Amino acid sequence: MRLLKLAVLSLIVCALAAAADVDFTRDVHPILAQHCFACHAGDKRSGGLSLRDYSDVLKGGRSGPAILPGHSGESLLIRRVTAETSPMPAAGPRLTAPEVAALRSWIDDGARESLNGPVANMPWVARLELRKPDLPAAEPGGPQHPVDRFVAAYLRQRRLTMQAPVSDRVFARRAYLDITGLLPLPDQLVAFVQSAEPDKRARLVTALLANNGAYADHWISFWNDLLRNDEGVNYAGTRKSITPWLVAALRDNMPYDRFVEKLLNPVAADDPSGFLVGVNWRGDINASQKPLMQAAQNSAQVFLGVNLKCNSCHDSFISKWKLKDAYGLAAFFADDTQLELVRCDVNTNQFTGAKFLYPELDLPAPPATPAERKAAVARMFTEAANGRMPRTMVNRVWARLLGRGLVEDVDDMDGEPWSADLLDWLAADFVEHGYDLKHLIGEIVTSQAYQLPAIPRRERQVKDYVFRGPEVRRMTAEEFADALSEITGEWPVFAQGIRGTYSRQWRMPSSPLTRELGRPIRDQVFTERNEDATTLQALELVNGESLAHLLKRGAQRMLGELPPAPENLYDSGRVTGHTDTSTLDRTVTARPQTLDIDISDVRELHLLIRDAGSYSPERVVPAWIGAMLSGPGGDVPLSTLEPTSGQVKRGPIQMAKVEMQDALLPGLPSELVFDIGGKGYTRLRATIGLDDQCLQNDISPAARFFVFREKPNLERLVRVAPETPVESPVKARPKKDELISTVFETMLDREPTLGERRLASAAVSTHGSRMSAEGLADLLWSIAMQPEFQLIY
Amino acid sequence: MNSEEKRALDAVVSRRGFLGASASATLAALAGGTPTALWGATEKPKATADTIIVLWMAGGMAQTETFDPKRPAEFQPGMKANDVLSTFKPIDTSVDHIKISEGLERIARVMDRGTLIRSYQAADLGFILHSRHQYDWHTGYAPPQTVAMPHIGSVIAKTLGPKNPDVPAFVDIGQNLEIGGESAAVKAFHTAGFLGSEYGPFLITNPLDAGASVRPAPELGEARFSRRYQLFQKLAAQSPVRQFGSEYQRESWRRSVDAAHRLLHSPSAKAFDLTLEPKKSYDIYNTGPFGLGCLLARRLTEAGARFIEVTTEYIPFKNWDTHENGHARAAGMKKQIDAPVAQLVLDLEQRGLLNRTVIVLASEFGRDMVQEGKPDKPVKDQVSVPAVLTEPKHFGMHRHFTDAGSVLLFGGGFKKGFLYGKTAEERPCRTIENPVTIEDLHATIYHALGIPADLSYVVEKRPVYVTRDGKGKVIRELLA
Repeated sequence: MRLLKLAVLSLIVCALAAAADVDFTRDVHPILAQHCFACHAGDKRSGGLSLRDYSDVLKGGRSGPAILPGHSGESLLIRRVTAETSPMPAAGPRLTAPEVAALRSWIDDGARESLNGPVANMPWVARLELRKPDLPAAEPGGPQHPVDRFVAAYLRQRRLTMQAPVSDRVFARRAYLDITGLLPLPDQLVAFVQSAEPDKRARLVTALLANNGAYADHWISFWNDLLRNDEGVNYAGTRKSITPWLVAALRDNMPYDRFVEKLLNPVAADDPSGFLVGVNWRGDINASQKPLMQAAQNSAQVFLGVNLKCNSCHDSFISKWKLKDAYGLAAFFADDTQLELVRCDVNTNQFTGAKFLYPELDLPAPPATPAERKAAVARMFTEAANGRMPRTMVNRVWARLLGRGLVEDVDDMDGEPWSADLLDWLAADFVEHGYDLKHLIGEIVTSQAYQLPAIPRRERQVKDYVFRGPEVRRMTAEEFADALSEITGEWPVFAQGIRGTYSRQWRMPSSPLTRELGRPIRDQVFTERNEDATTLQALELVNGESLAHLLKRGAQRMLGELPPAPENLYDSGRVTGHTDTSTLDRTVTARPQTLDIDISDVRELHLLIRDAGSYSPERVVPAWIGAMLSGPGGDVPLSTLEPTSGQVKRGPIQMAKVEMQDALLPGLPSELVFDIGGKGYTRLRATIGLDDQCLQNDISPAARFFVFREKPNLERLVRVAPETPVESPVKARPKKDELISTVFETMLDREPTLGERRLASAAVSTHGSRMSAEGLADLLWSIAMQPEFQLIY
Repeated sequence: MNSEEKRALDAVVSRRGFLGASASATLAALAGGTPTALWGATEKPKATADTIIVLWMAGGMAQTETFDPKRPAEFQPGMKANDVLSTFKPIDTSVDHIKISEGLERIARVMDRGTLIRSYQAADLGFILHSRHQYDWHTGYAPPQTVAMPHIGSVIAKTLGPKNPDVPAFVDIGQNLEIGGESAAVKAFHTAGFLGSEYGPFLITNPLDAGASVRPAPELGEARFSRRYQLFQKLAAQSPVRQFGSEYQRESWRRSVDAAHRLLHSPSAKAFDLTLEPKKSYDIYNTGPFGLGCLLARRLTEAGARFIEVTTEYIPFKNWDTHENGHARAAGMKKQIDAPVAQLVLDLEQRGLLNRTVIVLASEFGRDMVQEGKPDKPVKDQVSVPAVLTEPKHFGMHRHFTDAGSVLLFGGGFKKGFLYGKTAEERPCRTIENPVTIEDLHATIYHALGIPADLSYVVEKRPVYVTRDGKGKVIRELLA
């Protein structure tokens, strides 16, 4: 009886299928209801999938779309109900052949909502492999650039037209900032604007990209954010800084596939082993944050746009990724062949070997040794069959340059791009050009799409985004600071060993100002900067010390009123209790170091000791030992003189287990001043070092000893090479009108209007006709606060 | 500032006031990138407090030397370390059954306004690092985490907004962020994290500089400051390219600059200026930077602050981080906190503000002479403590103890004269009744402020809860 009923039913269903008029409500829904609703209906969403109604079916679940209209064979629903192993439904009888046939027929016919309804839209599925779409035909008279042919076709489809590109000035400002992080100088701008070359924009891009140093100094901040590279963010153990490697890689424009390979499989001594180490804290670490897991999360996020954070702790509730996927990737970085899965910090007694996120790219069996595993995973990230890697990078660069990615969430490359063809074409082109990042940037910046007028950014991101042009962006913290250094000539000093160089802002530790302007604390991966204006940020800009100081010195420098900083007579470099091979610093173990310097014609001796990164500076005991002044009358111990300024203890100390007599112990930090004028002393000899006692404490004592002939500028203790990152656009002894022009032309890339010039002129000479540094500083501030300066149009 | 300049500036300020655009509140609403709140299953509690002051005993305050005294010992050369539980005598408080430690006489007198928890148990994080426990206390999550976790002050600032738009919603007083080795670690939790920098701390390192931080820099001066602002505005009005950029971007930027100026000139700015405090009152608070921080907290509470933290300042091996000479140093620290904490309670009470203000005095963990970590979960020793004490510098609580610590709460809906939790009378002086975890403490504080413990913010498409995984349980017994 039952058999008969089934047979009859099958007959009917087959007949329906054959007629290709399977109706969702009448025919499909009952099948789903009978077999699937136990786990996939409404709030019951096993795997994130509900099949309760038509829209749910089309939405799909965490593993992606359940059906691909017109392609039943590739539809997950059909694959799962017909699977050989563990088919769906997980419990209960399997679907009958006629039921499967009905589902197939419905899907192949376009998965319509009703018999007469339209064919369902193809759901978006991010593919792994790369394809290179054909270039759309260029419109007659329209742009020829490959990017623009895609954009023009895209706009045409939406009945929009491409606007004219921005002016030369606006373009130059964008291109300079985006490639070098610097503003164009007035001369450069004028030369560019006046040039009649038809391809001058492309030439400018080529020239800017060829400035390896400036390019590296700018793009390194992008990479530091992605790779969590900053001094001090590792809180336990040692992690070699990847900065020297990164600077070199950017300067040399290392191909991106090799770049990633080096980060994932650092083999040579100079390779960036710090990346895989991650950010660690002393003590016990949550299982999901062990260095191996951090390596898996970071590499997946940064290089593939895959978020493995949730499933590092448990199977994800929002994506298809499972706990075992995160551990499978982490296992490539492990010393052991098997890793135990830990779910929410509870051991599971389940193990996994190394398994790549995309089985298509995985090896049949994981390699046997740790070295081979790392090499293997580096290959899987970077091989040509992995289209996700170049696509992710292309999207990041596009987002950096145009304010919004082709895929909006730059960390979720499963999202649908607004032009899949353009993304794929750019990615394929990037790969064809040997993963050349500069080529990629050049390709984008030379397009008209990049050169379109900027679109104001809305308060909230709109749904149904349509590309019309780049978004108005805000300068980064580094761009802001560098721009002010550019106009004023006042650059921060980066000290390496006893040498100092004027440097770009990225070299410096973050400050309250740069943090408020969006420079992140890099214990996390940051893939986008926060560009919001905030009250605290404004307070820092309006009333903060660092900006006021920079502008004050800057204005004095521009007017030639800034006295040069005194140069030191002696600089010990970093004196520590440990051998420190990680820096170029001169270091000593507990052994003392001696100084012997010429002090003829010195009237005042300034002996300075500054902290050089001690864990607890108050507890460091630095000493000037056996300091001796030599002169015509023989040697005079410095300890017999009273300092005219500064407090000092005297006494013996222990160094390298040797008791040393006649030590001056002024503490850290300290400045001792001795009046030695008119005595004819010619040399100062002394030994310097740290008392053994402070070396025994776990405070990593480090100090730096200086001798000066006059009161030093505490910000310029180190001898600095005179070169600056950019030659100042301000002439020596500038005339007021010239100066005002230079300020506007540099900061805003245009001449001041008459009204502006009048305001500026009144501001810079507050007292009579002479220009005052105060007035100039205020003018610089007032311009720096303008949206016109801070926004990139 | 001359009168004309002043009028010009006032016109700007009052125009905005007239428009009802309370500057920083509007800005907060404009902050676009910040995550959305997701209210959980728990009903939103009715707030019993609008303001919270955290008095942070940075570095690990020894509970047996402060709010949980045990039998006292006096220093004798040759005494056994194991015999020493407290180095101070217990004293009576205004609550019969609560005794606290000598040196806290003034706090003892206001104990009838407070709730004392003796059973705070810090998390088990292995080999102890102060900054990591501080991160845990201030965010509810132990680092490292997969997203940048916000400070509890940022959570409150974001969720409740500023109470008075002219006072920053989150003010953090007393911590220098450049402290040598642990600087980066301390910075890691002094941040709004994923909530966005609008909700970050307004940092005042030294309370004496607070007035200066909301006053034009001295080298600028009032007159020049306002002249500069006028120049900025005139240039903005003159700009030939002001049509570029979105109204939103331009407006939010202009408004943030205006907000800063407004803050600097609002009547509330006077709250920051401690020189305006009557001498008599100032002197009571003036036990050092922490005491003045308490005074500043009181003034800011009166002006309408939302979240204020005052710290005794964490500097490795300094202040409450007593690795040696603990007895003498604890005496010094108590001297710093006793008068200002008690006075803060009394002043707020007298001004009718205590019943809507929660004061929380807490530390990242307790201390002990012998035990590092917890008795059943000992961790690597960091401090060498001799078994037999020979010198006074050995006398004190030098090890980091995570099994028990004291938390003192006043006002804002908490019980008065109430004691919660109990520790053993003999070593190990571990928690033996009503253990309190950070998530439950946070849940209870949030509850008083009207925030449910399972409130979350959506970050990277998933909820991140204000208490760990939304699991904080309100300790009802603590609430009146």
